[in-house]
Amino acid sequence: MTMLPGSRRLLATWATLMALTLFSMLSARLAPEDAQALPLWSAGLVIAATGFKAQRLLMVYLNLRAATPAWRGTFMGLVLLTLALIGAGVLAARLA
Amino acid sequence: MSERALPRELPNPGWGPLSALPGNPLMWVLILSEMLVFSAFFALYAAERVGATALFDASQRQLDPLVGGLNTLVLLTSGLCVALAVEAVSVERIRRARQWLGGAMALGVLFGMIKGVEYAGKFAAGITPETNAFFGFYYGLTAFHFAHVLFGLALLALVTWRTSPENVETAAAFWHMVDLIWILLYPLLYLLR
Repeated sequence: MTMLPGSRRLLATWATLMALTLFSMLSARLAPEDAQALPLWSAGLVIAATGFKAQRLLMVYLNLRAATPAWRGTFMGLVLLTLALIGAGVLAARLA
Repeated sequence: MSERALPRELPNPGWGPLSALPGNPLMWVLILSEMLVFSAFFALYAAERVGATALFDASQRQLDPLVGGLNTLVLLTSGLCVALAVEAVSVERIRRARQWLGGAMALGVLFGMIKGVEYAGKFAAGITPETNAFFGFYYGLTAFHFAHVLFGLALLALVTWRTSPENVETAAAFWHMVDLIWILLYPLLYLLR
């Protein structure tokens, strides 16, 4: 087996993921009831938080930190590409 | 704590380019292909949304972000249980590993129950996949993800029975992939409007 992250790192990652999820839930709850769309800065924060959560999950839960930089870059690149597509969709919808 | 500070020892010698990946290399092929499939669906969703922004925004407001967030918390905690099972089985604490796997499966079932309650509420309100394009995506994407949850639960049950470090690590990788997809799906459907 490969070198594992260890219980402490796993718990710290879990706490980070929980906090970021609660932050996202709260930001959605705090949006004005009559607002049809989130402010762009708020959408940006949600996408950034999602990217960080995906990075932590890949590196720690999936233990990709034990892989080479090329593989880490490939998977993170795919996550970033996906988030860029999602962000571009939000932005384009706002400008349409 | 640096992610680059680890020694460069190949975890799977003999697997060519895949030899540098931890755990079962074939599971990483599956993870990569699943990520590509979901990314394509997300891109399609984003493109459709541009053409019908008002409809998508109004439809999204009928989803409860707290329910989706609760499911995210449940699934991420389940992922922690699975990761702790991998830690336990690596030091031959088989019974503890099975307990963590049991916890992970219980949380996976809870995820399914919350999703079921959410679907039931929508159907009771007359909202079906045919209602509009947004709900077509909502049901399609979440049901496709849920199919992965069910397969992941079956894998976790299998490795709880046949517990070995390799088996648990392989099933854990699939379960974390299910986590990862949901992390991306949640803001797309519930938050970003």
